[in-house]
Amino acid sequence: MNKKAQIQIFETIAVVIVFFILVIIGFLFYANIIKGNLDIEKEELSQLKSVAIAQRAMFLPELQCSEDNIIRENCIDILKINSAKNIITRNQIYYYDQLEFSDITVSQIYPSEDQWTIYSRETIGYRNKFVTNVPVSLFDPIKKTYGFGILTIETLTK
Amino acid sequence: MKKGQMEILGLAIVVVLLLLATVFVVRFVAFKKPTDFRKDFVSSEMASNMINTFIDTTAKDCSNTKMADLLRDCAQETGLICNNGQGSCAYVESTATEIFSKTLDQWKTNYEFLAYVDRNSPLIELGNACLGQKKSKIYPIPLTPGAMFVKLDICG
Repeated sequence: MNKKAQIQIFETIAVVIVFFILVIIGFLFYANIIKGNLDIEKEELSQLKSVAIAQRAMFLPELQCSEDNIIRENCIDILKINSAKNIITRNQIYYYDQLEFSDITVSQIYPSEDQWTIYSRETIGYRNKFVTNVPVSLFDPIKKTYGFGILTIETLTK
Repeated sequence: MKKGQMEILGLAIVVVLLLLATVFVVRFVAFKKPTDFRKDFVSSEMASNMINTFIDTTAKDCSNTKMADLLRDCAQETGLICNNGQGSCAYVESTATEIFSKTLDQWKTNYEFLAYVDRNSPLIELGNACLGQKKSKIYPIPLTPGAMFVKLDICG
């Protein structure tokens, strides 16, 4: 084999190597973009999930005020809270399907301060934590008074 | 210009166009920010629930009167005095201040709360006017004659 032919073979090999390096760089760049997009979609899905859980918690019939079978929105009957806690503890699988990994607390801030934890299920290694605060009326059926409370829904997503 | 130079110039233009396309793709695909779905939900729920809940709250030192009735009394100037010696306007204002300081102020949310018959001379005014985007909720309370309005703007 003469020298010129050898140089041409090396040239071809060098071109092929550079080509493959460029293909690998392009592939890594594309993979990074896809991964970034997947992370964004995951984040958006987590947000939607937290909104869905917050809405389920806001309209839990176990807590809602009602009079003559008429439900009052954004109102929690404080006499129902303890019973609701017992029901939730006894039916953990059902409520896990509804509320997943979250913490639901009701805090009364007016006329006096008080706090009740309705549901709590935590997970380790969560990716996102969303806190939703919803003002609610707290109805005392004995005194027939309405207090001002906050329903706090903390959602943990992996 | 020779034929070879023309070809090189054409190639250079193609390379520049490809680079521009890549920059465009990177800008809009790779650095896309997640849409904040929660923000809208949280601020709209906050504005409507905050005002509805406040209006329905029973005053602790005013013979179980609701805030709506105290506001009505404030607008009509009927002279109701609560057990702590405050008039209806002052009582509603101090209660709203107490509630908002434990909620909106703690969450570092800017707001403007107004209760008025005439928009230009509000009976109660708390917080600061929102400069940018806001979620607004107005709650009308009927009077005889006319109506008064309670308005809450949540900024952001």
